[in-house]
Amino acid sequence: MKKITFAAFVAFWASVMTVAAMSWLSPEPAMRDDSALPEYTLKEVAEHDSLDSCWKVIEGKVYDFTEYIPDHPTPPRIMEAWCGREATEAMRTKGIGRDHSPAAWAMMEPYLIGRLIEKD
Amino acid sequence: MSASMARKLVWAIALLPLAFFLSGLTRADFADGQALLNMLGRLTGVLGLAFLLLSAALSARVPGFDQPFGGLTKLWHSHHLLGAASLLLLLAHPVLLMLAAAGHGHDVAMATLFPPLSDIATWSGWLALVLMMIFLAPSFAFFGPPNYERWKRIHALAGPAAILALVHTYLFSRTMPMNLDVWIWSLLALLAVGAMAWRFVFSRRIGRLNHKLVAVDRVANNVVELTLAPGRRHLKYHAGNFIYMTPFDRKLEAGHGEEHPYTLSSSPTEENLRVAIKDLGDASRAIQTIEPGCRVAIEGPYGRFFPTSNKVDTPELWVAGGIGITPFLARMRHLAALGESGDIQLVFCVQDEARLLFADELAELAGRIPDFVLTFHYFYQEGPISVEFLKENCSDIEQREVYICGPMPLNRTVQSHLRSIGLPYSRIHTEEFELL
Repeated sequence: MKKITFAAFVAFWASVMTVAAMSWLSPEPAMRDDSALPEYTLKEVAEHDSLDSCWKVIEGKVYDFTEYIPDHPTPPRIMEAWCGREATEAMRTKGIGRDHSPAAWAMMEPYLIGRLIEKD
Repeated sequence: MSASMARKLVWAIALLPLAFFLSGLTRADFADGQALLNMLGRLTGVLGLAFLLLSAALSARVPGFDQPFGGLTKLWHSHHLLGAASLLLLLAHPVLLMLAAAGHGHDVAMATLFPPLSDIATWSGWLALVLMMIFLAPSFAFFGPPNYERWKRIHALAGPAAILALVHTYLFSRTMPMNLDVWIWSLLALLAVGAMAWRFVFSRRIGRLNHKLVAVDRVANNVVELTLAPGRRHLKYHAGNFIYMTPFDRKLEAGHGEEHPYTLSSSPTEENLRVAIKDLGDASRAIQTIEPGCRVAIEGPYGRFFPTSNKVDTPELWVAGGIGITPFLARMRHLAALGESGDIQLVFCVQDEARLLFADELAELAGRIPDFVLTFHYFYQEGPISVEFLKENCSDIEQREVYICGPMPLNRTVQSHLRSIGLPYSRIHTEEFELL
């Protein structure tokens, strides 16, 4: 028992330090150029406000989450309420004052379809 | 309730949160490697916290509560196992979650492990885990064998660690369907808090019985037997039980006001309590020179070495090593006082004749208890006790219930001899007096 717990203790710090070192050594990801993305207005986004087609605006970008909703940990109605709207607040607070995890933020990438422009 | 039933019940309660966690899983949790690792990361967290809280609940040391487990030392095996499993699971917990995030890049993995300081939920979990490493390091002798009093003080960090782990879990609360997790965690937390409250508040007031040290017998140059006269309340106990004893004597070099476990050597028929103490650490060394007159608080009784201590139903073989003679001495005194006979074979193992403890009294008691046979084994002359020695001196071992109390090496040797003869575990009873 003593040996196993000690081995796990060492393995834990080894893996944490490996990740820290890798993160420190790898180059900063280059800022992506979003200017080529299609442009949408809030009015256009608002047309996609149901589970059949669910677009959301998060931090100035437009996402189509239609395919993702069944995989989200909450019941679909939680995400549905934000379809067709500016939903940064939902992402940042989950409605309980807690931000989504870094992994959750990274998971949005494949659903990005455009950027918001201020018009009308 | 049998010991195995009691242990199973504990593990069933420990696995309760897991059942609810599993019932809340969906297809998406198994969708790909990332989802699976994330799910396992949450699962280890749930299970680890449940084990931690239950382990805390088992440490209460309420007299009588240890009986279904077969005594306090057996109960502590469960406590120890739950604690170790909890540490392993909770070490895996952040690593799994970090790996689940690593698919999105090093930076995401890093941000999962080390988010901004404003992320109280994650940092309370981190702090709980680091505290856990600190309070368990001496228990698992990460940095050498611990000193008892220091171990005890460090182990108290388990309290803050459990509270921080609960804060961490409440803030995330994405582990179970509906609000079930709040109920489950509150229930387990209540068990743990109840146990701590007993241990540090109530046991000090109700649990402790005041005694006065009235006599000190020097049994050997490193062993004393103390006689304690009860105050208003008397301790009800069985021969072979042990107690936690706290001496209050400022003249002691160590151990004033500190509690330590010692085996009772007296028969429950006696008016006073007797405890035999060998110099094995700072406090037990200091107590060798204690003088009568001081106040001593005791808590107990604990342990269930002998299922029936008043009579001898089936033939028994006892193997004692050094100061491990104490529970046997207590039972011999008890059987002699009751005028009971007993088909008992006692093998008392010591290094040489000069280290024999209570030799005259043991011989005298053996003479008074019909059918009692006393044998000595001297390590310096005969080497480690052999299976042949046991068979020669006790031809019908197979028919006997065996009780072993002594240092771990002797305990292990005798147990392996008995197993090689074909004695089932259920017939071998041991009492340990070493830390973990």
